[in-house]
Amino acid sequence: MNPLQLALRVLRVDRRTQVSTVLTALGVAVATGLVLLLTSLPYATQARAERTLWQHPTGFTESGGQVSFASSDDQVDGQVITRVDVAPLVDPADLDLPPGIDRLPAPGEMLQSPELAHLASTMPASELSDRFGAKPAGLLGEDALMFPEQLVLLVGHTPDTMPANAYQLPELAAGVAQPDGLLTLLAGVGVVVLLVPSLVLVASASRLTAARRERRLAALRLAGATPAQVTSMVAAETGLAAVLGAVLGVAISPVLHSLATWVPWGGGTWFAQDFILPWPIVVLVAVAVPVLVVGAAVAGLRRVVNTPLMAAGGHTSKPLNKGRLLIVPAAVLLFFLTLSMAKDSSAALLPLLASLGFLMWSPTIVGPWVTSALGGFFTKVWRKPSALLAGRRLRDDPKAAYRASAGVVLAVFAGSMALTLMPSLESEAGYYSAYRDSVLYLSTDAERAPAIVDEVDDRLERYGLAARAAQVGEVQLKQGEEYLQGYVVSCANAEVLLPVSLDCETEPAVYAPSGAALETVSYSTESTPDGGASEKLAPLGVTPVAASTDVVLIDPSLLPAGTELSNVDIAVPADGKSRESARTALLAASGGAQVISKEMKLGEQNSELADLRRVTVIGLVTASVLGGLSAAIATAGSVMDRRRTFGALMAAGTPVHTLARALRAEAALPALVATVGAGALGTVVGVGLFGLVSESVPVFSPWLAAPIVLGALVAVLAASVCSPALKRVRAEPLADE
Amino acid sequence: MTSLLSGRGLVKRYGAAYALAGVDIDIAAGEVIAIVGPSGSGKTSLLHVLAGILRSDEGVITLGGQRVDQLSETKRSELRRTEFGFVFQSGMLVAELTAEENVALPLLLGGRDRAMAIDTARTWLGRLGLAGKEARRPGELSGGEAQRVAIARAIAHRPKVIFADEPTGALDTKTGHATIGALVEAAKETGAAVIVVTHDREIAAMMPRTVAIRDGKIEQPVAA
Repeated sequence: MNPLQLALRVLRVDRRTQVSTVLTALGVAVATGLVLLLTSLPYATQARAERTLWQHPTGFTESGGQVSFASSDDQVDGQVITRVDVAPLVDPADLDLPPGIDRLPAPGEMLQSPELAHLASTMPASELSDRFGAKPAGLLGEDALMFPEQLVLLVGHTPDTMPANAYQLPELAAGVAQPDGLLTLLAGVGVVVLLVPSLVLVASASRLTAARRERRLAALRLAGATPAQVTSMVAAETGLAAVLGAVLGVAISPVLHSLATWVPWGGGTWFAQDFILPWPIVVLVAVAVPVLVVGAAVAGLRRVVNTPLMAAGGHTSKPLNKGRLLIVPAAVLLFFLTLSMAKDSSAALLPLLASLGFLMWSPTIVGPWVTSALGGFFTKVWRKPSALLAGRRLRDDPKAAYRASAGVVLAVFAGSMALTLMPSLESEAGYYSAYRDSVLYLSTDAERAPAIVDEVDDRLERYGLAARAAQVGEVQLKQGEEYLQGYVVSCANAEVLLPVSLDCETEPAVYAPSGAALETVSYSTESTPDGGASEKLAPLGVTPVAASTDVVLIDPSLLPAGTELSNVDIAVPADGKSRESARTALLAASGGAQVISKEMKLGEQNSELADLRRVTVIGLVTASVLGGLSAAIATAGSVMDRRRTFGALMAAGTPVHTLARALRAEAALPALVATVGAGALGTVVGVGLFGLVSESVPVFSPWLAAPIVLGALVAVLAASVCSPALKRVRAEPLADE
Repeated sequence: MTSLLSGRGLVKRYGAAYALAGVDIDIAAGEVIAIVGPSGSGKTSLLHVLAGILRSDEGVITLGGQRVDQLSETKRSELRRTEFGFVFQSGMLVAELTAEENVALPLLLGGRDRAMAIDTARTWLGRLGLAGKEARRPGELSGGEAQRVAIARAIAHRPKVIFADEPTGALDTKTGHATIGALVEAAKETGAAVIVVTHDREIAAMMPRTVAIRDGKIEQPVAA
């Protein structure tokens, strides 16, 4: 009888082996499915980047390009609108167009994404469609969209109507598409964080029959089976479940992928085809996961292969070395050492990541020792049988007790790190502008500015808004040897637009922090022999009025003739609902310039943080559920291992609920302690990493309590199986084994 | 003789097969009896029915004159915990606990405090010749020692009846006889009745009274 036939025979007759095989297969299926999903993420972001290369091209040319190109971001109701302005520089028939764009819109026409077209048809023109300044001429195809609900438009121009910031591209989708670096990194972390609990789930499932299998194999070894034969039998037994699981994992992976399409990232959800993996990768994962599982099972045979008698007769575990305790402080020290190096040099980023990996691994060394110590503590101070049973169990096999929580520990560590970082990063997020928060503005040049202001005012009047646009020029000033920033704006407009408090003079004036003489600075367009630009100074000729402002405000009528403005903004104050109309007026009048406002800047930051928060929560919850299931199976296995003893205790009158209470404590304690420890370690690392990007004090939010909640969740899940497992034991004949 | 534990017309069926086919039995306080019979004769079923582990399909069981066969599972559990003690074939001790903790466990689960439970456990282990071995685990004890720990566990709460199901099944003859001797002596100290199920005629011969069972029926009363 070959090993596979033996495995099949055992599977046919032993119900517990059947349960174990099914659970192992399910664990492998979950692991395979998750790895396939996480591996597909870089491909998915690559697919997105390739589809939207025309919106964010990475290559440009000085001359001889096919198109003149400009892009800007806009927003409506908190959703980002991507606007691309384009003018052909060659015969449109010779243009290389990306998929999803069948033709370039003619000047004054636009192609919209379906979602934008729908939105524009449901909102007043003053709040959306007027700002496009072009006639709808068709829709963009799916292949041109980042995600199904993306709001994007492609506006056609002649070269001379293009926005001021336009540049030439060799083709519309120029350059090389790059996958999202952050999501690729998170996918890598996710593989570790989710694969570990999945494999722990597999280990817990195969543990259900471990004792019985070990006795069987020990008997075979004593009967003359060679180590190689025993190893083949185990490989066949585990391989059967692992291969079934891998096939199931590949089969369920489309379901996981379709669930993943609902999870927003970078502003929107996904197309189903984004997650399609190249088949060699699928085959590689489908082979690698079972090989890993079979390898782990074979490695676990060392004891029975080496000393079958010991395995057959039980064993006593050796106490763990206290030296294990040094690993965590050493890892923390190394982490902070590499962290301080990374602050000084970006080249130290790799050592930092390596030390972070070392730190994440360190709990697996310390965890069993702490579990054992905890067990020792309970066996000394117990007052109730639950604490005694838990303490002895933890003390006896701390590695197994800790293993059940290992996946959750890793997830809680990563989660605590993220939960420390995110509120701190959120506190860093903000809107820093020269203007008041209520102001929307765009930048243009001095030549176009007056016409834009007239057009904006005209539209504001049409939309029934009282506010009017104002030009704010920027000029560099010199006061003695000191350079100052100056705004060319009337005092009345400055009071409305800028965060200053002024007592305006009745006549045009200059307002400055101090009253000394000022000169405007312009630069020669011809380079000096040393490569610099020569300064041209023009005295203001007006004594500034001292004002409580950090910048200098110059009335436009007092600016010396020929003074060069470094920039001109068109600004409109608007509050509440009038902001969408003010935005429309600015965009329509400027032909697609970038309009800047507080909500848009904050929206971008919040969107990124929301993405991070979402994937962290999904990862944590998934890892916790997997960890909880592992712990539950481990608990069931632990009850089954001691079924005869518990059966005898129940036969002797011990109520199921009393015994279940004791076992619940036994199952819950390691999970709770491990998650609290991992949470603390993750918080320390989060604080360290935050220090890398900011000097502010980290913010600790109530979310940091999440690890405790997760520990409790895992504990409850694990403990919940005690009662049914015990009831099952009670239902079995006492002598059955 | 006043009967402490009594069964009348006990019937237990498994499908169409009769494990007990109308058994009448009386056990007096402090009495020690052996139930003997070949495999499948119904002796373990009789023990489980009398102890309330299994419910009989027919018949009446009384303890101290009170019917106990109609009690709920909760009440029967309470009865087993307080009035009965059990010794099983291979001890069925909790492997992770020490000898004294194993003996103390039923007391603790019954709500006694730690000091009292451990003290009682140590006392009984001493009486059963296990002084100095209180801190050993079941894996560190011989088979006979482990069975004596099981006896201590069965008797520590001073039950009225001790049920022993093949208590020497996993022991050699000499150790088996010593174990039964220890059980009977311990029961004598507390005045508990002892019912031993065994297929070993030598063990049965050590008992003052033996009941033989075959095909679910009492075969013949065997006088001491």
